[in-house]
Parts: sequence; C-alpha cells; structure tokens
Amino acid sequence: MFFSKALFKQSMKANWVKWLSVTLATCVMLAIVIIVLGSLSINNIRDSLKNVFAQADQESVLKENAIDSYDAYLSSVEFENGVVQLTNMWEISLGEGQPTIKTAIVGTYEQNKALYINENGVQPEGEALNEIQWASANQVSEQLLGVAGAMLGNVTQEDLSQLMYILISTYQYDAEGFNSSGAVLYSSINNQYFNYVYNVAYQQSIAVEGQTDKEAEQVALEAQALAKKGVSAYTNSGLNPFTFNIDSFKADAQTYINDMIYLNVYSRFQITDDSTDEQKQEAEQYAFASKVISNTALSTYELWLEQGATVEQAKINATGSISDQIDDEKVVEALQELGNMDIYGLIIGSIFYRIAGLLLPMVYVIMVANGLLAGQVDSGSMAYVLSTPTKRRTVSTTQMLYLLVSLLAMFALVTAVSVVSIWIVGGNSFAINFGEILLFNLGAFLTMFAFAGFCFMCSAIFNRTKYSLSIGGGISIFMLVCTILGLFGSNVVPSAMRIEQMNFFNYLSLISLFDTTKILAGGLNFLIGFGVLAVVGVITFVIGTFVFDRKDLPL
Amino acid sequence: MEKEGLSQAEEVIRVENLTKDYGRGRGVFDISFSVRKGETFGFVGTNGSGKTTTIRNIMGFIKPQKGKAFVFGKDAWENSCEIKKDVSYIPGEIAFPELRDGTTFLKNQAELLGLENMDYANYLIKKLQLDPSANLKRMSKGMKQKTAIVAALMSNKELLILDEPTTGLDPLMRETFIELIFEQKAKGKTILMSSQMFDELERTCDRVALIYNGRIVDIADINELKNSTLKAFKIEFNNKNDYLKFKKLTYKIVRDQRQYNQVTIEIDDSKINRLFKTLLNYDVKFIAEIKFNLENHFKNVLKKQLEGGK
Repeated sequence: MFFSKALFKQSMKANWVKWLSVTLATCVMLAIVIIVLGSLSINNIRDSLKNVFAQADQESVLKENAIDSYDAYLSSVEFENGVVQLTNMWEISLGEGQPTIKTAIVGTYEQNKALYINENGVQPEGEALNEIQWASANQVSEQLLGVAGAMLGNVTQEDLSQLMYILISTYQYDAEGFNSSGAVLYSSINNQYFNYVYNVAYQQSIAVEGQTDKEAEQVALEAQALAKKGVSAYTNSGLNPFTFNIDSFKADAQTYINDMIYLNVYSRFQITDDSTDEQKQEAEQYAFASKVISNTALSTYELWLEQGATVEQAKINATGSISDQIDDEKVVEALQELGNMDIYGLIIGSIFYRIAGLLLPMVYVIMVANGLLAGQVDSGSMAYVLSTPTKRRTVSTTQMLYLLVSLLAMFALVTAVSVVSIWIVGGNSFAINFGEILLFNLGAFLTMFAFAGFCFMCSAIFNRTKYSLSIGGGISIFMLVCTILGLFGSNVVPSAMRIEQMNFFNYLSLISLFDTTKILAGGLNFLIGFGVLAVVGVITFVIGTFVFDRKDLPL
Repeated sequence: MEKEGLSQAEEVIRVENLTKDYGRGRGVFDISFSVRKGETFGFVGTNGSGKTTTIRNIMGFIKPQKGKAFVFGKDAWENSCEIKKDVSYIPGEIAFPELRDGTTFLKNQAELLGLENMDYANYLIKKLQLDPSANLKRMSKGMKQKTAIVAALMSNKELLILDEPTTGLDPLMRETFIELIFEQKAKGKTILMSSQMFDELERTCDRVALIYNGRIVDIADINELKNSTLKAFKIEFNNKNDYLKFKKLTYKIVRDQRQYNQVTIEIDDSKINRLFKTLLNYDVKFIAEIKFNLENHFKNVLKKQLEGGK
C-alpha cells in the first residue's frame, strides 16, 4: 500500500555504487582482520606474561616448601635435643622442696584432669582432653623455665610447651613406660612426637590447602619422614646435648632437602632404570633448577635470620615472587590484567565491530538517508515524484524500506564474510566462535539500524541538505568519535593504558548499547542494549515518516 | 453554497484569500483568483514576488496559513495526492533525481505515473528535438528544461501547472514550446503558467495576473487588451509654445516630459482623425504610437498603484 516500486528502483539506481563500495570495503577489512589475527599468534606476549606469573607462583611454592622442610628438619633436631636434655634431667627436682620434672608433669596433668571430672562429672575426651593437655604443658614449661632456664639454653616457652605436650601425651598413652626411666620412655616419646607431627601436618593440609584426604595423608607422611630423619640425624651425631649447636645440622638439612627434591622430581617424571637418557636428562635438568631455586631460598632465609628478621619476615622475604617484589599493587594488577587480556575480543569486537567496521556503513547511512529525502527536497527533484499521484507517506516508507533493505543486505554479506573467515582460521576453535560472531553482526546491524532511523528522521525533518547532514551526520560521527575516545576509558583496555575519566565519552554514544564484552562474557545481558537500539531505530523512523507527511516542501 | 457548487463545475483552480507569510515581507498575502476549465492563466511578476509560492500551494506542497487553494473542487493541501491524478507539473527549479540519463528518468517517471504508452512522449521528444540518451547531469540548461517539459506533458493530463517553463530555452525552442501550448489549448486543457516574459504570456494566455510583493495587483484579460480601441501616442514638439498650446487642449495626457517638449496621450480610435487635423497647425518633431501591450498595461497599473500608495 505505502510502497512505490518505481521509487524503490530509482533509489537503488541512485545508490548502488555507494552500497557496493561500502559493503566490499567493509567485508575486505573484516576478512583481513580475522584472517590476520587467526594466522598470527598475537597472544604470544600475553601468554609469556601469563607464564611469568605462573612460574613465579611455582617458584614461590618451591621456595616455601624448601624453607618449611628446612625448618621442620631443624626443629625435629632441636626437639630431640630437648628430649635428651629433659630425660637427663628427669629426676632433678624443680627446686628445694619441689617435685621432679617427671612428677610435676604427671601431677599437673592429673590435677587438671581431676578438676575437669569434678566439674563435668565425666572423663575428658577429644577436644577437652587436648585442652587439658595443652594447659598442663604450658603450666609445667613455665615452671621449668623459671627454675632451669639457664640450663636449657635459649629454648623458648613455645618449644618447651610443645615438648611437654608430647610428654603428657606419652604419659597418657603409656603411663607405665613413663614411670619407668631411660630407653623405654625415650622411644615412647619419639613415637608420640611422630604422631604429633603427622596430625599437625594432616590438619593443616586439610584446612589450609583444602586437599583431599589422600593428599593430606601424603603430606603428613612426608612431614613425619622429615621428623624421623631429623631425629635420627641427631641421634647419629652423638653430640653432647648441653653443648649442642643447631648450626652444625644446617648443612645436613640442606642436603636432605636436595635429595628430597631429586626424589620428587624423578618420581614425578616417572624415571625408572628403563627410561631413556633423554628423559633422565630432562628430569635431571628440572631437578637441578629446582635445587638451585630451593638453595637460593634457603640461603636468603638464613641471611635474613642472621640480619635479625623474625622467622615469618625472613620466610616472606626469601620466598617472594615477582608479584611480591613489585611494591605497587596497581602495577601488579596491570601486568596481570595484561596477561589476561583478550586481544581477539578487543580487536574484532571492540575495535572492528564497534568502530572500524561501523565507520563506512555509517558514512553510507548518513549520505543515503540524506539523499533519500532532504537531498531531493533541497535540489527540488522530489517534485518529480510528488507531482505524480504518489502519497508522501508512500515516498517516506519506500525510502525507509530502501535504506533498511540495503543495510540488511550489507550486513548479510558482512556476516557471511565473517563466518567464512572464522571458518578459514579454525572455526569454533578460534578465540571467537560462530555464535559470538553472529551476535557481533546482529549488534552492529542494530546499531546501524538506530543510526539509520536517526539520520532518516533528520532527513525527513529538514528541507536543506546542510541541516540534515550537519545534525544527522554530525551527531552520528560525534558518537562514533566518542566511542573511540571512550575505548581508552573502558575495561577492554588494560588498566596500564586506561584513563578512567575517558569512560565518560561512552555515556554520550549510542554505540555503547552494543556491548561486545557482554557478548563475549556469555549470558544474555547484551539483549537489553540490543532492544534499546531497535526501539530507537523504530521510533526515529516513525517520527520521520509522520513529520514528512505534514511539513511544507519547497518544490 | 450555491456559488461554490457553481464554481466547482467550471473552475479548475480556485484560490481563496491565500496567505503564506515567510516573514520580512516575503510570501503571498490574501491572494484570490480562479482558473476556468479550458482557460490558460498566466502569472507574471519579478523574482521573489510570490509566483512559485502560490503554485506550491496549489500543488499541495505547502500548507497555507490562511485561505485555501482548491483544485477540481478539492482542497489542494488535504487531497494533494488525489489531485495529482489530473495534474502535470513543471517545477521552477530543474533538478533531476540521481539517475543515469534522460531515458532512464523518463521511463522511471512513466512508471511513477502509471503510464504505459510512450507514443505521446516520443512525439514530444521529436518536436522538442531532445536527445534523451544524454547524461542527466551533463545536460545544458535548455536540455534539462526540454526533458522536464516532456516529463510533464507526456501523461496528457487535464491541468498543466508550469512554473517558468521556458527558462533556458533558445528563442526557436521557445516558439516550439508556444506551439505546444497552443496544441494543449486546442485539446481543451486548463493551463496555469508563470513566466517573466510578457510576450509569451500575451500570446498564449487568456488572462494574466500580475503579482507584486506577494499580492495580485491586477488580472488582465488579454482579449480585452487586444481588442481595445484605446491608443497611446507620444508627440514631441519643436518649440515650447506649441507644446504649451497643445497641453491646453482636451486630450488625455498620460505622461508629460517638459524638458523634451514631449507628451504622451491616450486616445480612442474614433478620434484619431481629429488629432491629426489638430496637429497640422503645430510644429511636430515626431509622433509615435506606443503599443498598448501587456507589459505597458502592467507598467501603468504599477505606476498608478505606486502613485496611489504615495
């Protein structure tokens, strides 16, 4: 009804050259962008940056493990020394008129237990028992430090409490052995100690690292083996417990850790006698590198301790990775973001589909929309159409239809080219899959639909090309420029290059409603913007049609 | 109502108190006239006097602020599309759609008009010696005008509205065009034509309206003008005495130029002999008849108007 075939043909004849050149140029540009991106590994830099951080993390773990093992080894040596010292002092009174250490341990524990039974009317169990044990251990170690601190050397209350706790456990577990003296007690204590180490390591592993039971068990067993190694190293050394110096065990600890690293690496690389030389060499190299890293960490750790740093501080300093060494958190974030940046999404989505690929269709829309109404009214050629029995409504709807059909055909071709290009560079295995590229095309079309509506409205409102072009075209180009400027303030640009304030420009542009990052992120959030663009297009087209119906035409 | 019914029957165009004010004295003000069926009506006036504005109102391209234009009894603004079924139009400004050549344009135009038979179009092309295969943009002004004439006349419609249709035509083509107008008149077409050329309007039109500053100053009936028995003569005397003596006589003096001893008098054909007898007694340097044509008629009208304004 409101369609004139002759006018449609006339518009086609007048604009096909523009249509063809814009469509071809856009298609060629898009094909080049996708194919070039697909064949070059532009993500190399990103990947190596990612590697740096992964390696740093790995290194950090290796160093931490080395230092933890080192500490565990040395503390088991110290523990053993403590046990020997204590058993030697077993029968010594804690002062005039005071009980011996042994009776003090048993007495305090039994007293605390009796108090508990008195209060609660049941035997202590589980957590309650553990609490009583620790409380007793603390009390006794305090007493002991007061009396025999000098004799025990520079042992801390914490270490002493731990020792007492083990002794109380031993007593609880084997009261008879505890009351006898010497060798029987000694092995009983060690057994309790190894249980203690196992339990602590198991609990930590489960709680802190969130590992499975089996993994935690493995960790606990390793810790236990480490403790046994330390204890036997002490025993084998045959040193006088009172002239004991931990420094003489440090070299042992390092050697032991190095051996452990080799063992771990060989088992991880599954090296057996049947393995090829190449495999062995690879494992050897890896183990060597790990050894160097561990030893560096240990030396640094020792160095920091000598400098008077606390154990925690020394550990942090020695295990620090690249991200710890860079002080400014923003710089670390920026680097990490750079590592996580999606270059394909940025170039194809944010730069091509929202800027570069829109430019030529926008120029087409501005020129053609103007030429379809305002241009013909301004020149006067519209008189030839309107002096025939053709309604103004027919003119406006036919011209609108031409604009939309030509735009649709343009984007159909662009879509075909994009799909074929992606298929050439690897289909769905490419960084941007078919679904995403189809949504990009749909979004770009809807954006142009909105601009077409706006330019058409201006063309319908103004009788002069200069006004139609400067308002319709001017605002459209202004919005495209705002999107270019806004890009530098948007999240697709890594924070190192981002200027937050420039994000303001995104609020001035209709193109912001076409959000490629939302499409890449998955979900349906992008649909709201698509809907608004469609509504803007429809409303402006309708306004244009109605205005053209009732205005004065200088024909 | 009775009057309206009557007018609708014989008046193809009726303009009633039409006003379109563009500000600063531009536009048309309170224009009224009508064109009867079969009549050729002319519009004359200087640039910007309001000819085109009036025509745009009649074509329904612009909405009047006051008054109305009727074409075939229908409101030209409200029924703009409907009246085009019987109207052909040559716009004052010749600008063609962006098409390759004249042939494409004329075919496209025929399609818009629903015209299938191109015989008359071909007749017009031949008559105007137009080469329609020429590139539309490279056409000379005259060729463009010819193309526009063909596009308008080929559909053979009842009413022709022609806004300065002879602009750019050479004198020979202008003659051909006037012939074409006579052909249209012979077919009984109603024609509204604007021009700045008095002579072509005088030759083709039945009535001509003078528009000045957006108002119709006068509507002249060409037949009355042609058949007028009134003549004007310009007489110059060799000496002042004769000049002064002549002025005392009863002849109607329309112009008096003292410095040349010259007078222009208006006189009816029947009194010519008496004039010549009188002049025998005077020393006349020369005597010339001033043609009583449309141009002079309007000049006089305007002069009176301006003098009256003072």
